[in-house]
Amino acid sequence: MKTIQMPDRGRPVKNVGPLLGLCLLLVPLAVQAGTPTIKLFPTTVLEEIKHTGNVAAEMETGLQSVIARLDEQQKLYIESKCEGNEGDPGCEQIARQMGKSYLEMLNIMGEKLPEMETAVNSTSASLKKRIRRELGQKKTSWTLQELLVGAQTDAAAKENRPTLRGRSGMRLSDRFHQYYKLVARSGGEVNTSLAVVASDIYLDMQETSNLISRTREEIARATLMEQLNQSFGTITPEMQEVVAGVKSILFGEDQEILPMTAPPASQPKLAYESPLNL
Amino acid sequence: MNIATKTLITTGLAGAMLAGLLTACSSNQTRATVCSPPKGPNLDEAIAKARFDLETGCERQFDAYFTRLLTIAEGDPKKENKAVFSDFLVWANDEGLLSKRKARETYTRYFGVKYVSLISDYSVCAQTCPRQQDVMRDMSSELHDKEQGLLKVSEDRLEYYRANRLYQEAELVLEATCTACAEDYE
Repeated sequence: MKTIQMPDRGRPVKNVGPLLGLCLLLVPLAVQAGTPTIKLFPTTVLEEIKHTGNVAAEMETGLQSVIARLDEQQKLYIESKCEGNEGDPGCEQIARQMGKSYLEMLNIMGEKLPEMETAVNSTSASLKKRIRRELGQKKTSWTLQELLVGAQTDAAAKENRPTLRGRSGMRLSDRFHQYYKLVARSGGEVNTSLAVVASDIYLDMQETSNLISRTREEIARATLMEQLNQSFGTITPEMQEVVAGVKSILFGEDQEILPMTAPPASQPKLAYESPLNL
Repeated sequence: MNIATKTLITTGLAGAMLAGLLTACSSNQTRATVCSPPKGPNLDEAIAKARFDLETGCERQFDAYFTRLLTIAEGDPKKENKAVFSDFLVWANDEGLLSKRKARETYTRYFGVKYVSLISDYSVCAQTCPRQQDVMRDMSSELHDKEQGLLKVSEDRLEYYRANRLYQEAELVLEATCTACAEDYE
């Protein structure tokens, strides 16, 4: 997958409320500035993105302390050399505490995921409708290309271009806040960049929705298994995997950040324009 | 004039005509062997030879000549080469070797940022999405040609960067759009 580094990657966004409000005000103005206009981000869609970001932030806040506690307990378990020494009463106690924290994590996710899923699916459905109509039905592949090239020309000198599928390593909520920023920034670059941003968000929503759906299916089963494990005071590899997975989804992965494909530094002379160029 | 003389004259004429035909065939054979794309490092000389050959019977081998000229130009890459190839294609159109449309598409394929692979008359949902994989494969091949035209022949890194960026954006937007279009019909 081609990835271009996102600006501010991995850095938590603080005080996002006022920023998001500002974006909401800016976007309609920005959209008016361009001709011809493609309507990919009406206010309703922006509101849905904002709501999804808020729901993700709530879930993260709820899970953060539990996961931090789990990390501490796991560290203690390893430092106490409990692996392979499960019969030890002290180790059993640590394992039970870990199991309780794990159940707590599953409960929080079980409570929050339905709301998250609804929000994500709603955003995804709105974007799907917009993309299908504005890009799929109103454009040919040639006019779509012209839209993209037009934005390239307009934005060639700008530093902060919209980014492509570069979401790894970010919190889920930060991703949504990032989307806001992208949409707001794209306003000055007319519609083209918005087509890229909308596509990026839509595909991301699709993946997130599938992930949430699969996770919800697993939660009930994982909860039952852990309740059984509690009576034995053991930790399972599956439990560790689930925790690692949740951390990766919600708080970002420690993946290597690929270098951005940067344009050449040298400024071109006056470009040759052939009469044949399409 | 008696019959014998008439026969002699007729035979003579027939012989002359036959000899003429044979000479013509022989001449065509020689012409065909001359149709070899230019060699050597000098692009101007190569283009002059290509023009001569293409207007004197080798027009069917236009693509081979054009490909050879690109290879020769790689030996001396510079921005001015774009204009050289543009002029060559305009000349080919004037000579009736290529249609205007074909000349434009050929130039854009190698020296333009846009992709001729994306030329279409109908909506993305209707025409492009049903053959999305083919379109992306064609674009990938065209990007390779742009690498030759823009980078290796013209040393225009900025334009090549734009073409590459456009490829990535088009891939992303088509993926999203075609997903949205497909769900429309579910």
